Amino acid sequence: MLISCPHCGPRDVSEFTYQGDGNRVRPDHASTDIGAWNAYVYDRVNIAGEHNEIWQHSGGCRMHLSVTRNTLTHKISSSTPVQAARPTQKAARKSRTKA
Amino acid sequence: MTSTRISMGGRIDRSRVINFTFDGKRFAGHPGDTLASALLANGVSLFGRSFKYHRPRGVLSAGVDEPNALVTIVRDAVREPNLPATTVEIYDGLIAESQNRYPSLQFDVGAVNQLASRFLGAGFYYKTFMGPKIWPLKGTRFWMFCEHFIRRAAGLGTAGLEPDRSRYERMNAFCDVLVVGSGPAGLSAAKAAADQGANVIMADIDARFGGSANWSEETIDGAPASEWASAIVQQLATMPNVRLLSRTSVWGYYDSNTLAALERVSDHKTRPSFGEPRHRHWTIRAGHVVLATGAFERPMVFTGNDLPGVMLASAGQRYANEFGVLIGRRVALFTNNDTAYGAALALKRAGATIAAIIDVRKTVSDTARSAAAECYAELITGYAVQTTEGSKQLDGVRIQQFDGQRTTERERLVEADCLLVSGGWSPAIHLASQAGAHPIWNEDLQAFLPPPPTDKWVGAGAFNGTFDTATAIDEGLSAGRTASGNTKPRKTKSSVVEGYKCQPNPAPVFEIKGKGKAFVDFQHDVTADDVRLAHTEGFTSVEHLKRYTTLGMATDQGKTSNVPGMAIMAETIGKPIPEVGSTRFRPPFAPVSVGALAAERFGDLKPERLTPMHDWHIDHGATMYGAGLWYRPMIYGLKGETVEQAYVREARAVRSGVGIVDVSTLGKIAVQGPDAAEFLDRVYTNMFSTLPVNKARYGMMLREDGFVMDDGTTWRLGETEFLMTTTTANAGKVMQHLEYFLDVVWPDLKVHVTSVTDQWAGAAVAGPRSRAVLEACVSGTAVDNAALPFMGIVHGEIAGVKVMICRLSFSGELAYEVYCGANSGTHVWEALIEAGKPHGITPYGLEALGTLRIEKGHVTGAEIDGRTTAHDLHLDWLLSKKKPFIGSAMMNREGLQAEDRLQLVGIIPLDNLPINGGAHIVEELHESHPSDSIGHVTAMCYSPALGKYIALALVKAGKSRRGSRAFVSDPLRKRFGPVEIVSHHFFDPEGSRLHG
Amino acid sequence: MVDTVSPLEPVLNRGRFANTAAQTGVVISEPAPGSIVQLAAWPDTDQKVREAIASVLKLNLDNSPGAGAVSGHRAAFNIAPRRYLLAEEDEGLAERLLSIVPADVGSVTDLSHGRTAIRIDGEKSEWILAKFFAVDFSLARFPVGQGVSTSHHDIFTQIQRRSETTFDLYVFRSFARSFWRSLCHASEETGYEIR
Ligand SMILES: [Zn+2]
Repeated sequence: MLISCPHCGPRDVSEFTYQGDGNRVRPDHASTDIGAWNAYVYDRVNIAGEHNEIWQHSGGCRMHLSVTRNTLTHKISSSTPVQAARPTQKAARKSRTKA
Repeated sequence: MTSTRISMGGRIDRSRVINFTFDGKRFAGHPGDTLASALLANGVSLFGRSFKYHRPRGVLSAGVDEPNALVTIVRDAVREPNLPATTVEIYDGLIAESQNRYPSLQFDVGAVNQLASRFLGAGFYYKTFMGPKIWPLKGTRFWMFCEHFIRRAAGLGTAGLEPDRSRYERMNAFCDVLVVGSGPAGLSAAKAAADQGANVIMADIDARFGGSANWSEETIDGAPASEWASAIVQQLATMPNVRLLSRTSVWGYYDSNTLAALERVSDHKTRPSFGEPRHRHWTIRAGHVVLATGAFERPMVFTGNDLPGVMLASAGQRYANEFGVLIGRRVALFTNNDTAYGAALALKRAGATIAAIIDVRKTVSDTARSAAAECYAELITGYAVQTTEGSKQLDGVRIQQFDGQRTTERERLVEADCLLVSGGWSPAIHLASQAGAHPIWNEDLQAFLPPPPTDKWVGAGAFNGTFDTATAIDEGLSAGRTASGNTKPRKTKSSVVEGYKCQPNPAPVFEIKGKGKAFVDFQHDVTADDVRLAHTEGFTSVEHLKRYTTLGMATDQGKTSNVPGMAIMAETIGKPIPEVGSTRFRPPFAPVSVGALAAERFGDLKPERLTPMHDWHIDHGATMYGAGLWYRPMIYGLKGETVEQAYVREARAVRSGVGIVDVSTLGKIAVQGPDAAEFLDRVYTNMFSTLPVNKARYGMMLREDGFVMDDGTTWRLGETEFLMTTTTANAGKVMQHLEYFLDVVWPDLKVHVTSVTDQWAGAAVAGPRSRAVLEACVSGTAVDNAALPFMGIVHGEIAGVKVMICRLSFSGELAYEVYCGANSGTHVWEALIEAGKPHGITPYGLEALGTLRIEKGHVTGAEIDGRTTAHDLHLDWLLSKKKPFIGSAMMNREGLQAEDRLQLVGIIPLDNLPINGGAHIVEELHESHPSDSIGHVTAMCYSPALGKYIALALVKAGKSRRGSRAFVSDPLRKRFGPVEIVSHHFFDPEGSRLHG
Repeated sequence: MVDTVSPLEPVLNRGRFANTAAQTGVVISEPAPGSIVQLAAWPDTDQKVREAIASVLKLNLDNSPGAGAVSGHRAAFNIAPRRYLLAEEDEGLAERLLSIVPADVGSVTDLSHGRTAIRIDGEKSEWILAKFFAVDFSLARFPVGQGVSTSHHDIFTQIQRRSETTFDLYVFRSFARSFWRSLCHASEETGYEIR
């Protein structure tokens, strides 16, 4: 599998580390809402199809990427710097209810 | 079969002789020979015994599709079994052995399996050993009883026990176009792509490029095909944008157009040259792939079709034209298509008598008819081979009239020492199938063809089902241009190809039914009856059939057996072949050496991390210990000391005088930027923004889920600059944790984190005399209590080297960590040792370090195991209530507050004997029926400070059990005994010694 | 100057190795720059940081990924978004940079001891590097001056092309000896010289 790092170009997957579900949104740092934290830490959508993931180019430039990967075919349809693609809290809630 | 060397022709070098042995007997061959061709040239027809029935087997093919002639090659006492003799190139001193025979190939007692063969059909193992019962033993117990005998009786070659000392390497390559196969189509594709300026890699599984051009009878553009091919190869070899890989099987096609290939670099040499690997594993990332992998000829299924002397027609032609070997004097052919007539012509030209051509078709084409006439062969149409005659090799064939379904009475004997068979052709679509292509059944060719090309690969030649050379060349040229991005139509003229031209379309005949064994999969001894039996027993899916009969699952991966097997299956079910389906091909296309996959990760080449003082440790008698990739001193043992004696001596020296330990492996992260302090407040459970410059603080961080992640001290070196230390094991994990939060969660924070673990050498000087040691060698700063209080940092020099000294302690003694640039590490270390000599400074290793921390009840990775909370480890005091931090909300969950959680305790074995990490703590002791565990030991040592064995453990509700009795239960090591549960602070719980 | 010890000292055995019949495919050496420094910019200060590099090292970098330049004993290349690795023969580069790069412009991290530079030069250098790294080192894709961050299993490496046939590799000091050995081992095939 090749992942295209926006900084380094296409590299072997062995240079990358999976850093979790890209759909989750962290509650406000000061939040004490255990339900929200629980959802963030444990709830996953487990999509069969296009999935938003966070990868780190840990064996290269070390930046984090927002990757859209098809969990059925491994086909990666986009990989962008993570900040450009972070879901807002609202959008994330929507995608969770859809799934 | 009486095969011989022809005096002329072939692409072997008769001027040189190569000597080798087969089953201990000496033979000679020539450069260009495979083991199969050299043995055939010497008249050898018997190559091995078959897998289950120990039937004599010869050579069926001339290449990688060979199912029969498997041999073991012995090199430097290392045995490599199951290599097709058709792919082994001979070299001087080659030692080859036949397989699966005892005591000898000619006389093999295992052949009695043939007598018992009706018990050894499909599913024999399942039925016999997984079945309900066979008196007096049943099921798996019966298997265990029989296994030894069966393993000996059935199987392929045996591997040796010697370690393989060969060298294997890996290689990465990038190209615009990868061409797989170098026959006329592949060569043309490579040339066309290279001419477009593309970077091209062309790989061929054989030693010689050219594929079928090497044994074709055709001329291309006026030159013999082989000369036409070598001219192109020579041109390609001079082009800087072309890399040619011979002896290279492209065996895997993975996503993103990544292909795996195995290059057999030196298997054909008596000895590899210095530094040359045996195999090189290529990972090739290709823009486009041209698949020009050709096609495999199929055998026919009939009784006795495995007898030595029965061979594929194309193989007979290849032996004559490429290797200069005539595979028989009197040759008969049996075919369902016209291509075999071309082989007849080639063999006739090479000097054979063509006894007869037996064709299942009632009428044949004029092309075929005139070819038969040209060979002076009797053409027998509408007939089929019913059975072969001969015991260990072919004497002749019995033929009968054939109506397309069955044979009838009118029997004839055709005498021949060789029968060439052709059952049609199967394009080698393996790589396309791996890439996800669904093959399409072609009724004309009676074969699975690849689907139309994709944006990643394009096919050419016989791979596409194109058997006409001129068209194959055209396809190659177009494929090469397409693959290199040129979409304009080609202007060059097509090549002129002359020679025997025919339609390759076969009659749809795969099997001639009869009595006796007719093999579909030769290597796994799967017969046509086995396939039918499997169906009778309910295995109607092709994937189930494959697993039940093991058809196509041998080392040749069913290259010759796949389609015939499917055809018999289809007939049995009563469905057309395409409805039965094709099995999906999986990697590898051809066997891959495990050595090549492991390559540089094996043996001495495993990377190691060394501290700056590594050589000093070795020179001073340290026993090194692998901690992750790091090597750290375990003890500096004196002569005659046990490990325990050594670490007890070292730890005692620290408590009574002074010791020095290498702490360079601690993870060190530079945390820099205007928001560094704010960031640390969020990451650590305690406050760092309040930390003054030149002070350090012990900190703990949690994961998002509220469990403890790591601990360590962080030093404030400037207003915007911190040096964070982590445990050795978690350095990488903590770094990623910090990077994640900076990049993903808080991109607005201006903080940079950089691993500086390797920038600093670190030495901890510990013990009541440590200050005296520093006073003797540090200049440029005072180190007394006022200038350097607990957790203070000073900057000075030792022996002319700038150092940073922080007063902190892991041992519980007055102690300092001295950091300097790594390249000066040994220099400073030696200066400290020198300054410490009057105080008896003792270097100590990991064992003593562990002992000192266990005595103090400090936690490390054994206790911070990802399941413990700050509360479990009695580190609540580090949890700030003034600010949120990572994990602060989640750590308060009910379950993490429960009082019956595993909590850190001290353990004293009351029998004062050692106990091991991992041993269980139980409330009641039953040695044979261990009762429920209430916890486990995490670390243990002999404590010189306490004069007894002590341990740390995580025990359910541990805090409330302090002062109570329990037992250690370690059934694996047979260690049982009473213990007392105590506080984890064994030694100096008030911490008074810290202050010297 | 006091004793500094390269991690490569025990394995730096100068001379020609491997098959005597083979040519010397590569020359492996330790350039041992006095300074190796990382300079990192904030999102809005990348330009300023590259200006600082230009003023201190006289090397001009554009803002493309991996962009770099070399001149004599001075080298600089981009290793990650807004991060640069700088090397120079003299010690003290970090101090000089600190004087012109305040914390609100960027972070200066001295890695002079933390990274070890290894140079591989020669006709076969691309071939040898391809044994370790899944990076296309062909001149067209990886021109002179260009840098890359990659890894060989656990060994994180930053590589800059100095010339058509020369590459400088920066590895973590603790891995340097192990990596050096691997590099020599891999170069036996082509013949190598340690200089
Ligand atoms: Zn990257």
